[in-house]
Amino acid sequence: MKNRLRVMRAEREWSQADLAQRLEVSRQSVNAIETGKYDPSLPLAFKLARLFGTTIEGIFCDEN
Amino acid sequence: MICKTNSPAQRRFFYRFAVAMLLYLLLLVSAVWGFVHYRPTGVLAYVLAVLPALPILGQLAVIGLYLAEEKDEFVRNMQIQSLLGGIGGTLAVVSVWGFLENFAHARHLDLFLVYVLFWFFVGISTVVVRLRYK
Repeated sequence: MKNRLRVMRAEREWSQADLAQRLEVSRQSVNAIETGKYDPSLPLAFKLARLFGTTIEGIFCDEN
Repeated sequence: MICKTNSPAQRRFFYRFAVAMLLYLLLLVSAVWGFVHYRPTGVLAYVLAVLPALPILGQLAVIGLYLAEEKDEFVRNMQIQSLLGGIGGTLAVVSVWGFLENFAHARHLDLFLVYVLFWFFVGISTVVVRLRYK
């Protein structure tokens, strides 16, 4: 699923490791989500949205 | 391999797995020693023969515990895919080998090798899964 995670992370000058630490996941996970290779679960998507102060739709784009 | 990037659940998994492996070696040596020196029969032979298998059952439980304890959903997902690859590969080989034994009189495959095969295929799957998400 396409997302704006890389851009939003860059705006805050966070590395993948920084974001991973805030989400309590591995850096691999952040990379897989950013590159669209892995779609997070709803709880993790909500956690991301809360962290960036936005909605899930504000981060992820529904390609359909 | 244990490294600092492993999650706490992974570190617990490696520790438990290593303990089970040590127990396996200890019980295997004990069982062989027991059969060589005492040549047990009947129920005692069954009990002694099954002893080395108990830590293997423990290792399977350790895998289940790990999957329950791993908080990183992406890592858990990759591990599940690797394990499914291991199960699939093992089932494929033993199914084919079973027919080869029945119809083509291929050499008998000892059942304890099934567990070794499982980890062999888990290893291959782990590499494939990691490359997929690289």
